[in-house]
Amino acid sequence: MNPEIVPVHREESIREDGMLFVRTDGILETMVKAPLILAGLIIVTVLIPLQTSFSSTRTLELIIYSDGSTHVSTQIDVDPLEPDFELNLFGKSIDNFVATGDTGFLLSEEIVEDKAIIDTFGSSSIIIDYNIDDLVSKEGRVWTFSFDSPSDYTLLMPKNSVIVGMSGLPNNMELVDEQTKLGLTAGLSEINYIFTPINPTTHKPTISSESSFNYINAAVVGGSIIAAVIGIVLMLKRKQSKSLPSIIQTESTEKQTEIKSIDTETIFNFRPEMREDDKEIVKFISDKGGQVLESELRKKFLQPRTTMWRAVKRLERLGIIEIDKKDLQNLVKLKKDLEEEK
Amino acid sequence: MKKIISFVLLILVSSMILGGMTNTAQAQTDPTILLKIAKHAQKQLEDQINQNSSDKTKQLFKEGMQQINALEESLKNNDIDLAKKYFLSAMKIFKEISQQLTNSQSSQAEVVTLKDTVKDPSADLLRMQDYVDNLKIIAKKYNTSINFSELDNLFVTAKKQITDKQFDDALQTISKIKQITEDFNNKIRGHASQQEQSRAKEYAQKYLEQLDRLIEDVKNQGLSEDIIQKLVAARENLSSITDPQEIIKQIKEIKLIKEHLKVHKK
Repeated sequence: MNPEIVPVHREESIREDGMLFVRTDGILETMVKAPLILAGLIIVTVLIPLQTSFSSTRTLELIIYSDGSTHVSTQIDVDPLEPDFELNLFGKSIDNFVATGDTGFLLSEEIVEDKAIIDTFGSSSIIIDYNIDDLVSKEGRVWTFSFDSPSDYTLLMPKNSVIVGMSGLPNNMELVDEQTKLGLTAGLSEINYIFTPINPTTHKPTISSESSFNYINAAVVGGSIIAAVIGIVLMLKRKQSKSLPSIIQTESTEKQTEIKSIDTETIFNFRPEMREDDKEIVKFISDKGGQVLESELRKKFLQPRTTMWRAVKRLERLGIIEIDKKDLQNLVKLKKDLEEEK
Repeated sequence: MKKIISFVLLILVSSMILGGMTNTAQAQTDPTILLKIAKHAQKQLEDQINQNSSDKTKQLFKEGMQQINALEESLKNNDIDLAKKYFLSAMKIFKEISQQLTNSQSSQAEVVTLKDTVKDPSADLLRMQDYVDNLKIIAKKYNTSINFSELDNLFVTAKKQITDKQFDDALQTISKIKQITEDFNNKIRGHASQQEQSRAKEYAQKYLEQLDRLIEDVKNQGLSEDIIQKLVAARENLSSITDPQEIIKQIKEIKLIKEHLKVHKK
């Protein structure tokens, strides 16, 4: 007879209030193994940043031209199971509309007033570019940008402009080739600006680069990855015999060496979806020892500021380059830890 | 070993908590930015306020400066909420000053500057350059034989004309650029439509596979014969059409049948 099913024993564990108490000691070890918890946490840790980034509007960038028209550039995640996607435009005076799918191919569209119906045919992400005249108005010499944004966005102010009024609070500001670039949050914002006839360099504010939060985030993500790697190594060690650690260490060292000696081919293999013109930029940076000023890139490729800036941001998003500041200029550097971005 | 695993677990949990915290923090405003923007505005307006400016404007400017001082002070005291309040207040005042200056200033130099700004087609040219750059990338993607060199030359010409203040000539050049760009855009879209057809077919094929599974399920569940027939007919239609717009139309019809099916199941 099994002593665990003796009725008297059961009665002992039932209190007067009728609650049943069960010993939990050792449940974690016997039912759910620690490695399983570890693996689960690793997955959750990796998924948290991914989940944060998977929103409908992935990026939204606005550039105000000096005549008040605005360029809108946005990347949107769409349902790949749907044949088309209806996009709400930020106004009705739309010009130079271009929609491309995740493979870079042009998508056809139909614009009806402030809506665009784009034939996505299985694309999971689309990039939309267009110009709009509805966001900026002018009264006297005061220009007013007014925008009710569905998501956080960046706004590049025109050259020689000075902000003289703001209804909201920016969360970031940086200087991109003598132009102020603001980071703004979702919702209604009104920004008033004027153009200064005086050379703006005499009044250039000492603007810091992007806030340090990105570095903290990077450190947290990096820390998680390191912790995950340590966890995996420990689990492997546990399973294998004690004579194996030296082999694991050797493999790890070899892998580190590979990461450090990254070349353009590795980058292209790592990001096969990269545009051809972006590859040329990467090759140029690599030839220049892995870092160049953004202005050098413009000179080399004869591209206007906004185009090159977009290309650089695209490469940054792909995790291939990082942007630093050097004498108020953008220093574009090839990343050495490409593997960690996977 | 247990201690090591516990330690790793602790790191992971901490990083998850920290990650959440930094995401929240990222949406917050860096308070030093506020002071920089406000001071920049103050300096610009200070340069423009002169003896001819009205007393009201001068008084407003003083109030604006007081708000900036208060903003600076609250930042020193690390009172961010108060700093935000002073920033918004200062910017509101500066906006009002700008509008007043606009109404009052009528110096010849100012009028000339504004006139030049209006006539200068630099923004139009820059906008077209951005658009053409985008088209170049797409044209390359489709391996088209479009030669952009003429356009590139026109851009160089227009830039020179603007530098030389020959704005009327520049406007004509930009007009040519627009015509050629429109032509190129149509050519690229012609190439794109050919490939779109194959992408649409590929998409329809995947959809047909899903539809086959759905029809099979509906049959197994013994649901209405009418719905099964509708699905089968829609499947046949979808498999026979090639026009992308027709494919979209047909898929929308299938979705309606699916909705009907859901209601029927309930």
